[in-house]
Amino acid sequence: MIIAENLTRRFGDRLAVENLSVEIAEGEVFGFLGPNGAGKTTTVRMLAGLLAPTAGRAVVAGVDVCAEPQRVRSLVGILTEHPGLYEKLSAWHNLKFYADLHDLPNAEAQIEKYLNLLGLWERRFEPVGTFSKGMKQKLAIARALLHEPKVLFLDEPTSGLDPESAKTVRDFIAQLASEKRTIFLCTHNLYEAEQLCTRIGLIKQRLIKVGSPQQLKRELYGRQIVVDLKEPITLSEDLRLPFVRDVQADGRRLLVQLDDPEAQNPLLIKRLVELGAQIQFVREHDRSLEEVYLDLIAEEKA
Amino acid sequence: MTLKRINTVIVKEWREAFKGGKTFWIGTVALPLVLLGVSFFPFLYAGDLRGISTEETKELFEKVSMLFLTPLLFFLMFPMVIPHSIAIYAIMSEKEQKSLEPLLATPLRTDELFLAKTLASVLPALAITWIAFGLFLAVMQFLLPSTVLELAWQQFGSIWLMTLLLFAPLAATFMTLASMAIATRVSDLRTAQLLSSFAMLPILMSAFFLIFQNLLDKPALLGGLCAALLVLDIALLGLNVKLFRREEILTRWR
Repeated sequence: MIIAENLTRRFGDRLAVENLSVEIAEGEVFGFLGPNGAGKTTTVRMLAGLLAPTAGRAVVAGVDVCAEPQRVRSLVGILTEHPGLYEKLSAWHNLKFYADLHDLPNAEAQIEKYLNLLGLWERRFEPVGTFSKGMKQKLAIARALLHEPKVLFLDEPTSGLDPESAKTVRDFIAQLASEKRTIFLCTHNLYEAEQLCTRIGLIKQRLIKVGSPQQLKRELYGRQIVVDLKEPITLSEDLRLPFVRDVQADGRRLLVQLDDPEAQNPLLIKRLVELGAQIQFVREHDRSLEEVYLDLIAEEKA
Repeated sequence: MTLKRINTVIVKEWREAFKGGKTFWIGTVALPLVLLGVSFFPFLYAGDLRGISTEETKELFEKVSMLFLTPLLFFLMFPMVIPHSIAIYAIMSEKEQKSLEPLLATPLRTDELFLAKTLASVLPALAITWIAFGLFLAVMQFLLPSTVLELAWQQFGSIWLMTLLLFAPLAATFMTLASMAIATRVSDLRTAQLLSSFAMLPILMSAFFLIFQNLLDKPALLGGLCAALLVLDIALLGLNVKLFRREEILTRWR
């Protein structure tokens, strides 16, 4: 649904995005992470037909963004970082304006559908300036969806929202993903990325890594097993089984690096029991996406 | 370029402007109405002139002919003052509300956006100027004998027509383009208003100079002012075409 090949954008001497190549399948929720100024917004603008790339090409929803940017804009939906609504106009008139720009034949039915879906129908004739931040964000989401785009670009969709509103928006994004829409999600919220995204791309001018959250963790750290013991044991050569990549003792806790815990755990536990260890718990150490993100960005800086 | 998209943006501009509060209403409706009312005062003092003879009419017209030039001041002002606030608001409100990116993410083209914003300011300015002139003529019809009006039309008709059909569109376009160009480059509404007021001054002062120096019975002078405005409009059009490029809007309009 989205194909980018060596997408590059310069602003004068400044390189904003360098040789970005990625393929995103239909129905995928692709998380796009990176520090401020890493080129996330520029990438979205290029993919959505708002800015022409300096070099490279991209095809979105089957349309070349360089050759037919206007057509791309009619096929994708964007939720920008700021809701960017007309505060003096009502919710209805805001959506009607955008529906008319998209030349929707069923504009009023679409407006009604999304205002109802996002719980704004009762306040449709009130000026948007009187809405809470969460309501404005919902209205901006409705605006992005009015023309039923197959591809959605969401830039910080839960930024600045209270936890309840943020959850509502996250649930709505999950619902959109279940409708087979392709979602390109820029976020700083790593919990959100981990919850929603099938794959994640890390950018800092160039794409550093792409993969599912699990893949990224495994690629960076391997798989680590945590064994909680009743009493500390001394690490000996006896524990160094051929498949154990690394082992560390931390008081009553053993941290063991394995390639295939599903197959190797029984052998590991058997050996520990043979060595007299009293095992209380065995579990996989689940690294957070935050650790992955910070380590990859630090690695890139280095 | 589609007329439907242009029309959609124009309607949105007007809908926002109507909700723009007293600044908008004072600038575009109240001020022209007050000025128009003021232009009738000299004629009201003339008393009931409708029964006078043709000879007396000619004699009278010699004395009051300059009174017909005073309202002209206002018809020179309207096309400059009215688009001033609408054009600035059309850009500044988009910037303040950060609504440009979602707007540019639609199939709307930048030339359509530019044309719509320009027309949204120029059309009300022309409509109000022409309606005000229609009202002026209607009230004059009621206050003065038709022979006086006929004489006035013979003497000032060409100036009035040039003002309404040539000066007004050119001046409204000038003010709109100048205000929009300024608004794209400043981040504060008041600064934009102040700077675009300065842009208005040379044109208004030239027009007033022509009137006060009693030069307006020489239409060529007003024609010269219109020609100068045309040159300025073309230059401003070129500038605005550059300012309304998508990349420029997304990265430089702050």
